[in-house]
Amino acid sequence: MVKASTTENPSQSVSPMQTFFIHLICGVGLAVGLWVAHNFYSISLISNPSRTLRLIWVTMCPLVILFYSCFRKNPEKCSYLKAVIRGVLALPIGALVNALGAIALGAPVGIQYFPKTVNWSLLMSLFTFVPAASVFGSSWEDWRRIFAHTKPNASVDYMICLPAHGAVIGAWFGAWPMPLDWERPWQEWPICVSYGAMAGYLITMVLSFVLVLPRGRQQHPKAD
Amino acid sequence: MMEMGDWWRRGKWRIMVMLTMLHIVGILIFTRGFLLTRTELPYYSNCSDVSESPCFTGQSNPYQNQSNSRCWTRPAVDRLVIIVLDALRFDFVAPSTFFKEPKPWMDKLQVLQKLASTKRSARIFKAIADPPTTSLQRLKGLTTGGLPTFIDVGNSFGAPAILEDNLIHQVDNGCIEHLLPSLYEEDWDVLIAHFLGVDHAGHILGVDSVPMIEKLEQYNEILDKVIEVLDNQSGPGGLHENTFLLVMGDHGQTINGDHGGGSAEEVETSVFAMSFKKPPPTMPSEFDTSSCEMDLDQKKTCISSFQQLDFAATVSALLGVPFPFGRCRPAVICCGQASDAGYLLFSIGRVSPELYTLGAGTWNLENNIEGNCPNQKEEEWMQNYCNVLCINSWQVKRYIDIYSASSVIGFSSEDLLHISDMYAQAEENWSCSSESLLLFKDESCYSSLPLKRKIDAYFKFLLNVAELARSKWTEFDLKMMGIGFVIILISLPIYFLAMMTKSVNGFSSLLFGDSEIFVKLVFALFMVVIRACSFLSNSYILEEGKVASFLLATTAMFKLRNSIKREKMLVEAIVFLLLITILRFTIEVGLSKQAATSLFMSTHSSWLVEIDPGHPVWIYMAEIIPILALIFLAYLLYIIMARSSCHSIWNSTIIVLSGKQGPLVALVTITGDFMSITVLHFFQKDLIMFPSTGYCIMRLGNIDRGSTDKVAGILTFDPLSVTQWSLLATCLFFVTGHWCAFDGLRYGAAFIGYDEFVLVRQAILLMIDTFGFSHIIPVFGLPFLVARQKLLGHTDQDGRLLLLQLSQMYLMYGLITAASVIATILCVIIQRRHLMVWGLFAPKFVFDVVGLILTDILICLAWFYYVGRREDGTQLTTLDHRD
Repeated sequence: MVKASTTENPSQSVSPMQTFFIHLICGVGLAVGLWVAHNFYSISLISNPSRTLRLIWVTMCPLVILFYSCFRKNPEKCSYLKAVIRGVLALPIGALVNALGAIALGAPVGIQYFPKTVNWSLLMSLFTFVPAASVFGSSWEDWRRIFAHTKPNASVDYMICLPAHGAVIGAWFGAWPMPLDWERPWQEWPICVSYGAMAGYLITMVLSFVLVLPRGRQQHPKAD
Repeated sequence: MMEMGDWWRRGKWRIMVMLTMLHIVGILIFTRGFLLTRTELPYYSNCSDVSESPCFTGQSNPYQNQSNSRCWTRPAVDRLVIIVLDALRFDFVAPSTFFKEPKPWMDKLQVLQKLASTKRSARIFKAIADPPTTSLQRLKGLTTGGLPTFIDVGNSFGAPAILEDNLIHQVDNGCIEHLLPSLYEEDWDVLIAHFLGVDHAGHILGVDSVPMIEKLEQYNEILDKVIEVLDNQSGPGGLHENTFLLVMGDHGQTINGDHGGGSAEEVETSVFAMSFKKPPPTMPSEFDTSSCEMDLDQKKTCISSFQQLDFAATVSALLGVPFPFGRCRPAVICCGQASDAGYLLFSIGRVSPELYTLGAGTWNLENNIEGNCPNQKEEEWMQNYCNVLCINSWQVKRYIDIYSASSVIGFSSEDLLHISDMYAQAEENWSCSSESLLLFKDESCYSSLPLKRKIDAYFKFLLNVAELARSKWTEFDLKMMGIGFVIILISLPIYFLAMMTKSVNGFSSLLFGDSEIFVKLVFALFMVVIRACSFLSNSYILEEGKVASFLLATTAMFKLRNSIKREKMLVEAIVFLLLITILRFTIEVGLSKQAATSLFMSTHSSWLVEIDPGHPVWIYMAEIIPILALIFLAYLLYIIMARSSCHSIWNSTIIVLSGKQGPLVALVTITGDFMSITVLHFFQKDLIMFPSTGYCIMRLGNIDRGSTDKVAGILTFDPLSVTQWSLLATCLFFVTGHWCAFDGLRYGAAFIGYDEFVLVRQAILLMIDTFGFSHIIPVFGLPFLVARQKLLGHTDQDGRLLLLQLSQMYLMYGLITAASVIATILCVIIQRRHLMVWGLFAPKFVFDVVGLILTDILICLAWFYYVGRREDGTQLTTLDHRD
């Protein structure tokens, strides 16, 4: 069952420092997106969800793809550029999967929701699919290990697996207040779902760093 | 171990039956405490009773000699014409200037508005009804002056709702035909005409619709004619010299045409009262609580409001009959339930000053014309009114006394004491008669002060009684509710215990050994708990279908993840997810349909906007899809038959399960499906619902495939599958266009194949239509989950294992159903004071409870059918082995 136990040093080893740095960059990217939307365009997730979401994912997209591509698997076989292209390609595919999932769960469908759904799913794709695509490419075994078995081994696995799961679970919980009759603007699709996803993403990034920390200490003496 | 197994095999059907009984008992006890009931008294008011009252002390009843049939109070009007317009909203009658913005349905009954603004003898009232606002309840309340109870509500849904939809324009024809000729006849005192058209138009098309406005305009004409006739005859010596006209609604309705709940739109109805006596009456201004507003023609219109509770007492006072109606000759013409108006009961209402004035203000003006007091008229009025209140209060007191003496659940003693005190206070000082007031007479005029004080005291007493009665008769019996709840709660540990004991039985100790299964169990429980918790909020109850499909889709994703993990049945998992997506859209169609009639839901169908139900594509779809569904079903049947025949070498017991039960389920499916197709075909205008039936069957074949992907290797049943099955059952309820409200019942289904009404038969048909997809088919189809799995290759399994799995699955299914019902009950207990308790929580409670009992009974039946049969087989095999 555990065929894909990747002890054979598949990707570049990631130090806790690097993990921290990448998570920090992603978090900052998210914050910058929100900040730009708020200060330069004077919009927020509530007042104009689709433009805000677009700003966020456009800000985050280069950061996520460029930085995660550094930790691609088999760096000697796979060039940096290839990893970046994989990440770019995965963006719309992941968005499609996320959008379909959301629709299966009850996301509204319609012309007026279309841009919101597209931007939201692109953001979700950045949280979930793009890092995995940049790092693992089309390696089905690795995808299965990360997303189906949820068995991360290396540090980079943690960095991909945890935030992705966090974002999805956060979005799932974020959908809960939607049917309530509080008549608040943030109950609209996809505002609270986005908030949930971001919260889950941020929390699990911290968690992933905490989990990577002891591994880094173990690995260090080995490297010596 | 063997003995234990035997005991279980013999004993477990008893557990099922026991659980059923437990549920029934618990629900009955709970319902007794929750649904309000009031003992009705078999007493009638009589003329002679009045001599016992303190109101005529020292003198014989002055009115007794005048007329035999009118005795309690001096009759103010001779004849009464009551025109009841069902579901008459307040803003149908009141001028649009009373509201923030004019709406298309306002200002349509202009005859009434014109009269109210020009004549002093006519006035518009706002009448506030007590929820639940259903017609029978309200008519009963109107005529008896009592408070409604919930049990009656059920009775009132049958009659009006069954009337065919397209009859809006004919429903009132009978009324119209008979009303005008009757006005010329002399053989009645009270004429009641009940028009149902507005109610119908509202139910079917909503308030903001063309038929509604046409209907109102038609009523305007009728009323115009009626008033003209009455006016022509109202001269001295005329037939209607002293006639009182009341045009009234029994309750209001929401914009969507719904009623039954307690929202302002529903409880506010209007009464238009007009006296044809001349000259017009006057009333002391201190009792006038009306609010005035300029109408469209810049004329002043005044509107007062009163409680509908007070209606009966006021009308009785006007007619001078025992409170409420005594032996007058009612001429009830037309339209179903209006015949209830003949019932006589006790009233706890108070005589409303404004309404009373209109009819009774001036009858003895002629006698006292010589008095030159400036406020002579008011004085006379107050004295009369005081007298009326005196009898009114005495009657109310008597009713309270009799009630508390004869009823099991009466009023508490301190409440009674308080009431007695108030009554004594009101009674003690003065009588209303003028003799005792002589003391206060200055010059030629009475001082109105003591009279006023007295009236106030009566008011206080009556209002207090009404308040007490409201709190008592709309009060819940918490003790009963608690006992019922605990009894139902006990069933939960029994379920667990039964399941666990079987686990001990040797075969399924694996249940908690396998971490995979354990994760699934936790996940399944998590889903059940979430669903149960969701019932705590009215929003989630409204969107129950969506919640169920959300959870179902979540479990489907979990399954998809598992199947990716195993790299097995990937296609099935994805198809399952797709089907749930379709399911979800179908549920939304149903919800938007519900929103069209529901009072709480705003229409927010996101993707349906562009679909035109009348489009030919839909009509073709509607014709073709059921046929396709049936063909598909036949194919499915054929496959199952073929399989079971080609594997005839299998253990006979398995064939019993797979071969016999497959066709049975299919048969049930066919019947249920055909049933609902016919229903849809003949009675549902919404053709979009058709495809759903087709999908259901596909899903029925599919879900088990989706769910067995993982189970195959593990011996015990998969808890997640059963949870999914149960969630699917919930979804199916909504997919097939039902929802938890009485107006969501498809009464049309009760009449398929039959024209005449036989209660039991029609109830069964309605039950099949309502619960067919959501309870009957899922329960009988549950063995699919095991049978399919067996077909996949474990042919050498011991039959007893199958049996065990089946029993555990049924227990699990029952557990899930019971858990969600318990959550509903808990929620009803917590929310019993919620605004929507009658509109939302109570119907949900009733549907859930009926569903639970039905599920219990069906599980018992299915048990006898599947397991009973299997046991014979097992025993045979065991014997074989022994040999």
